[in-house]
Amino acid sequence: MTRLVIGRLLAAVPVVLLVATLVFFLAQLGTTDPAGVMLGVDATPAALAAKRAELGIDRPVVVQYADWLGDAVRGDLGTNWFNGESVTRELASRLPVTLAMAFGGLLVATVAGAGLGVFAALRAGRWQDRVITVVASLGIALPSFWVALLLAYYVGVRWRWLPAVWPSGGPGSVTGWIEALVLPCLALGCAAAAAIARQTRSSVIGVLQRDYVRAALARGFTVRRVVTHHVLRNAAIPVVTLIGFQASALIGGSLFVEFIFNVPGLGSYGVDAILRGNVPAVLGFVMVTALAVVLVNIALDLSYAVLNPKVRPA
Amino acid sequence: MSRVLSRLRANKVAMGAGAYLITVVFIGVFAPLLAPHDEQLAARFQDILLPPSGEYLLGTDHVGRDLLSRVLFGARYALVAGVEAVAVALAIGVPLGMYIGYHRGWVDRVVMRLVETLASVPAIVMAMAIIAALGPGLTTAMLAIGLVFSMMVTRLTRAEVLAAREELYVDGALAAGAAERRVLWRHILPNVAPSLIVQATLLFAQAVLAEAALSFLGIGAASDQASWGRMLRDAQLGIDRTIWPAIPPGVALFLTVVAFNVFGDGIRDAFAREARGGRLGVGAVRPAVPATSLAATLGGVPAAPPRAEGEPREVLAVRGLSVAFPVPGRSEPVRVVDGVDLDIARGEVVALVGESGSGKSLTALSVLGLVPDPGAATAASIRIAGRELIGLAFDDLRRVRGTEVGVVFQEPQAALDPTVPVGRQVAEALRVHLGVSRQAARERVIELFADVGIPHPIARLGAYPHQFSGGMAQRVMLALALACDPQLLIADEPTTALDVTVQGQVLDVIRELGARRDLAVLLITHDLGVVADMADRVAVMYAGQVVESGTLDEVFARPRHPYTEGLIAAIPRNQARSGELATIPGVVPAPWDRPAHCHFADRCAYAEAACTSGPVELRHDRAGAVRCVRAGGLQLVGVRPSVRPAERGAVAVGGGRR
Repeated sequence: MTRLVIGRLLAAVPVVLLVATLVFFLAQLGTTDPAGVMLGVDATPAALAAKRAELGIDRPVVVQYADWLGDAVRGDLGTNWFNGESVTRELASRLPVTLAMAFGGLLVATVAGAGLGVFAALRAGRWQDRVITVVASLGIALPSFWVALLLAYYVGVRWRWLPAVWPSGGPGSVTGWIEALVLPCLALGCAAAAAIARQTRSSVIGVLQRDYVRAALARGFTVRRVVTHHVLRNAAIPVVTLIGFQASALIGGSLFVEFIFNVPGLGSYGVDAILRGNVPAVLGFVMVTALAVVLVNIALDLSYAVLNPKVRPA
Repeated sequence: MSRVLSRLRANKVAMGAGAYLITVVFIGVFAPLLAPHDEQLAARFQDILLPPSGEYLLGTDHVGRDLLSRVLFGARYALVAGVEAVAVALAIGVPLGMYIGYHRGWVDRVVMRLVETLASVPAIVMAMAIIAALGPGLTTAMLAIGLVFSMMVTRLTRAEVLAAREELYVDGALAAGAAERRVLWRHILPNVAPSLIVQATLLFAQAVLAEAALSFLGIGAASDQASWGRMLRDAQLGIDRTIWPAIPPGVALFLTVVAFNVFGDGIRDAFAREARGGRLGVGAVRPAVPATSLAATLGGVPAAPPRAEGEPREVLAVRGLSVAFPVPGRSEPVRVVDGVDLDIARGEVVALVGESGSGKSLTALSVLGLVPDPGAATAASIRIAGRELIGLAFDDLRRVRGTEVGVVFQEPQAALDPTVPVGRQVAEALRVHLGVSRQAARERVIELFADVGIPHPIARLGAYPHQFSGGMAQRVMLALALACDPQLLIADEPTTALDVTVQGQVLDVIRELGARRDLAVLLITHDLGVVADMADRVAVMYAGQVVESGTLDEVFARPRHPYTEGLIAAIPRNQARSGELATIPGVVPAPWDRPAHCHFADRCAYAEAACTSGPVELRHDRAGAVRCVRAGGLQLVGVRPSVRPAERGAVAVGGGRR
């Protein structure tokens, strides 16, 4: 198992570097001159050239790339063009918020989705199942930013149950963190919960029709026992794959949710960097995002191996 | 194709979604004519954030623009964006996917590596990175989304092409000298098309969402374009005062995405009718209306030969078991199993023989009260070890299943839970039903494994089902079936899925353990070789009814029903002299096509007018039972079961539950 983990982690390195490389060269296609953006329209050509030299963007692209890659491998993602801060440090300070949010959202999605899916499957064809199926079909179409807007307005502004924006200066206490995270996590988890519920339902229904379920019933076990001991684990295998996709979508969705709730996380950092053409920050943001997705997928692969003995290394 | 369309038309929900989408297209095209106000113009400065009114049906936004007009125009942006993104995705993904899927090689490996790498970045982040390079704007944004989607299309197309390539018809076309290009376009593309159409529809929904998302962030539609995402962005500015401006564009976006999803699902269902899942598919057997079934069975029962002991030796006694299934398009459920009686004594092996569809497996499941959903079983009486099962509560029935009956299914690999070690699966039965300790269960499992002939039982306890060969897995099933010391063993085609070489071994284990434990064995099979080898008595089923029963020697040597004669004649071994394999002409009628008269009459060489005049009862006598109008008047050819066919497995009458 340890070998599997190490192997997957090593395989992740080239993936992240390849993503960064692609984004690096993509960024070179940009036509805006960052020096011009920073210094304004009335900057002298000499000042612009000096700024370009300072940023290092007057060098050949290949040199820039080698330089950047060398630093990136050592964990140095360069300097924010606009404020001179270390991109690595900026990302590190924003990562915990986004991680907490994404984790909370995934937790909401998995618990609610799997619970509803199993419930619906065990009542397939009855009204409870129909209701859940319809709600889930609608739920996957819910744009997370619209849900976030509605939650922010009703729960935050109108009813004042929970903060609609991130507290300035950060949530001070544990309860503060939880209160600040509830709405973003709900907004993030909604569509994912619906997708997971659908997959879980069809997966459980599929497993219920397998011979080994009938065989377990023929052995005189209670329905509850058959479901908990034989159905759920088998049904979980495709659901885990879907959770992997959802984790990626969730990290993407966190961009919008952070935007709406004013959360100082990776997403707002990335949006700002992209809007201003802040190449080092964009690169750092994309790399961290890719790394997060890759790590989530490794974790899911491992749980997949735990669930499914057929893919377990001998 | 027309069948696909008619199936789609029958799907009301999908058609509703389609109608909605057509409306959206209509609105998008004619937005300038339909909109009561200008897309942009703030009518009057004081008309800011108005609620719905006569003049502004949906109210106004934070700069006083008419929300209804903007929502109508929004349909236009959503559609243009969707068309652009999906067109880009298909234009890149389909040719690329077809090329790499067809040619494979290093290009395929490189492209797939790239695609998988890029898939590790969330689609929206990737699109934003592309927009960062190309600059904001609706056209660039949707180009970016299209590029990201093209990865998914490539992957899907490649997978479908790989699958289609494996199909024989492609090889056939190539062998017939078709040009490669022709094969790709004429033979492969049509097979890839259905999933591409579905994917394109679902991608359209994703593209509409992505457009709104990017516009919401301010890097999609420009501020003067009334995209739904842009409207939501504007709505956010006034969120301290009212949420209303977020409702119309949000609902429009939501409904449109739902409609595309539903329509896409509808197309998929129309192409490939998915098997609709049932519930946890079991039901108990209900009591039959006594008047008919009981009376019919009171005339006599196919009892085992009389024995000396006074106490009843019957382990299983079934009277008048019927199973009916609802069939689409029919008001009445169709009887699949019709009034079956069955008796098995201690130490006796009874074979239930028949073609697939004759109802023999259903009979066995019904005995356990495991009637597959949505079937309904009725019986006058089912007794196991003298205990009446009809009317038992689920939990009592459960105890009978666990402790009095053991079941072996056709495919051992499928009947074992793939995620639980086999030792634990056997121990589970012991611990649940007998309440033994973990340690005691372990020791008992080792004994059981040794009994059924699993070598190195201790080492095999922790192994998973997929690590066993079919024969060994069937031994595990046997260990499971016998774990709680049942009195009755039901073996449903226990060797059909196994290699011929191990069939004999598994049968030997069943016979030996059955004799040693004095078990009553119900052996369900379509293999007359197995019957000749194992059974003491035989019941032949045809089209849901028992048509003949008796001792093995009687039935094989002197068949009294023409169907039995046909079965025996169809054993290859018995055709050595004539050189031609006998078959029974025709097929078993479908349950809903069974005539009221003798079910076999239409295929019977001996049929005469009396055979089609009315239902035929099963008549019992000392030799057994037969359901034939002409029984006694026919001279039918049998075989001496002592000259048993050695080549078990080759001796089949065709069928089995597969």
